[in-house]
Amino acid sequence: MNPVNIFPLIGVGDVVIGLSLGSRLFLIAVGLSLIFGVLGVLNFAHGALYMLGAYFALSVVTNVVGNFWLAIVVGAIAVGIVGAAIEVVTIRPLYERAESDLDQLIVTFGFVLITHEAVRFIWGSQPYSTPMPDALNFTMSIGGSQFTAYRLFVIIAAALVMVGLWLFIKRTYFGSLVRGTSSDREMASMLGVDVPRLYTAVFFAGSFLAGLGGALAAPMQSIGPNLGEAVIIDAFIIVVIGGLGSLSGAFVGAMFVGMMQSIVPQFFDAGSIAVPFLAMVIVLLLKPEGLFGGIGE
Amino acid sequence: MSTQNDGLVDRIGNVGRQAIGNGWTTERFALLGLLALVVVSVGPQFQIYLFTEFLIIALFAVAFNLLYGYTGLLSFGHAMFFGAGAYGLAIVLRDYQSAIAEIVGTGLAPLATFVVGGIAGVALALLLAIPVGYLSVRLEEIYFALITLAFGMLFYSLLLQDPYGLTNGSDGIFVALGGVELGGTQFRLAGRRIYYYITATVVTISIYAIWRIVNSPFGTICKALRESPDRAAALGINVSVHRWMTFIVSALFVSIAGVLIAGFSSVATPNEAHWSMSATPVVATVIGGASYFGGPIVGAFLYHYVRWGISRFPALEAYWELFFGIMLIVVVLYFKQGAAGGLAMVGTWLQDVQAAYDRGGANAATAFVRESIGEKLGSMMSRSTTGQSDDGGTDR
Repeated sequence: MNPVNIFPLIGVGDVVIGLSLGSRLFLIAVGLSLIFGVLGVLNFAHGALYMLGAYFALSVVTNVVGNFWLAIVVGAIAVGIVGAAIEVVTIRPLYERAESDLDQLIVTFGFVLITHEAVRFIWGSQPYSTPMPDALNFTMSIGGSQFTAYRLFVIIAAALVMVGLWLFIKRTYFGSLVRGTSSDREMASMLGVDVPRLYTAVFFAGSFLAGLGGALAAPMQSIGPNLGEAVIIDAFIIVVIGGLGSLSGAFVGAMFVGMMQSIVPQFFDAGSIAVPFLAMVIVLLLKPEGLFGGIGE
Repeated sequence: MSTQNDGLVDRIGNVGRQAIGNGWTTERFALLGLLALVVVSVGPQFQIYLFTEFLIIALFAVAFNLLYGYTGLLSFGHAMFFGAGAYGLAIVLRDYQSAIAEIVGTGLAPLATFVVGGIAGVALALLLAIPVGYLSVRLEEIYFALITLAFGMLFYSLLLQDPYGLTNGSDGIFVALGGVELGGTQFRLAGRRIYYYITATVVTISIYAIWRIVNSPFGTICKALRESPDRAAALGINVSVHRWMTFIVSALFVSIAGVLIAGFSSVATPNEAHWSMSATPVVATVIGGASYFGGPIVGAFLYHYVRWGISRFPALEAYWELFFGIMLIVVVLYFKQGAAGGLAMVGTWLQDVQAAYDRGGANAATAFVRESIGEKLGSMMSRSTTGQSDDGGTDR
């Protein structure tokens, strides 16, 4: 491939698709990063929660009310509740254990298996697609490239979540509790913070974001029981590149992986798998704490 | 010659007598295990098939646990070496069988190719493990798990993309073990019984080798590293070099399991190297108990046979992962030492019951049983995590 010929191949449409893929990944990665930053738990089940968000939204749209916007909200809240329940029942008992990192990873991996089968039991193995909301179901054209308006909407929504989350953590009282607890758990506990309750709240928020990502991305992808497995690995790549616990890192990492997924396959097929993993290896070796700082940065 | 034979028979007899004299010693377990291997070989074909696969998973898990249970590093990329073993055998079998036949003759060629392919698989794993291990062991805990995952998936994408036309992409390579003609007798390597003998021999020798490693000074250093890398370093141990060596040894034994699985399933596909394959030894080890040498074997047995048991009920078959998920969570939360730890606990408890019986007859024994069960239930209900004892186990 002559390098001069590469650039004309990357149109505005590819960039929009890449950014929209990145946006859905951002919503899952930022929740993963938030949970890791505050609780120190690498939640393997996060991809499964994202998948649940997509399925919940699908069910609300097709079976209950048929309102897409309501489906997104209901889906995200339901996933948040599932996440909080997981935290209370199985992760809370492990905090006291010495060296519980690997135990937590394995417990959450157990939930990956359970959710995968539960989804197959309830919805079956066949792939579903969610209809796009009518208001956004039209094609836009910029610079000769075409894409659906919905993709642009997802990008804007992710950017809004990014800004909202940043303001929430930097400017609110709850945000300062979260930051304080993430940097020194004992001290926060001594100063009267109810740490277990805060942890559950953070787990709820992280799961809520994963569910929101799944619900928002539902019209852009086919929904099947393997959706969770595919996105969790992408989310791991993103949080490692950006830095475990870093919100802005999750944003940059997500956009990078999204662009890779939209552009690289045009040049070589398996490259979209290889390139992000290569980036992950390089970042882990050179700067294991990631390219960006901690919570709220 | 005859004196040597006498010596061997004598020695086996001695081991047996000692085993009976000393109660449930390691030797006695080993003898029982070997006996089980022989008994299975006369069983029905399907059971042999099932048991062969169990043995391969058991080796995979035991080799993985050298790194996880003994050195404290959770690798989520060991499928890489499993796949390397499988592809080493498959590629040699596809490309070099005729060349080998010219050297050793057509009768022996399939056997020779299998051996050469196996060596190629292990060599490929060594080639990968040296740089990957060197780079990975610099990181700890979650970061180690993540970097091994990334290396594993890089290897997976290489197998899938097939840049050198070696791996046949997502279809994989067909592995056909041929018929051997040796001194007038003919047999098929892939025949279930023959393949079982091969697998049982290779797995037994490999697991024995790992057992020797674990109980050598090398293994003692591994355990020291798991307990406290800082203190080990203070004692003059080069932590990263030792971790690197353990990584390589673990990878080599995993690749042996990979060679065996390729011959067993007649195909080498990229799936063998996918991260979900890396989860298999993790699940088996956690269920069985990482702090016991035999834990991963017990776990592999449960993993494999529970799955088979479930498969006999069509309604449940499709959802077997659900049971493993629940099993995994319950084991991590309540049985820190896994099923092997549970068995050891039951063993100690039975001895205590016996002791109570010896002291005060049947009444004392029943009282003890009632009391200890009540205590156990009570502690499970209150779920106090502060009292978690981490007493390892005898076989550490």
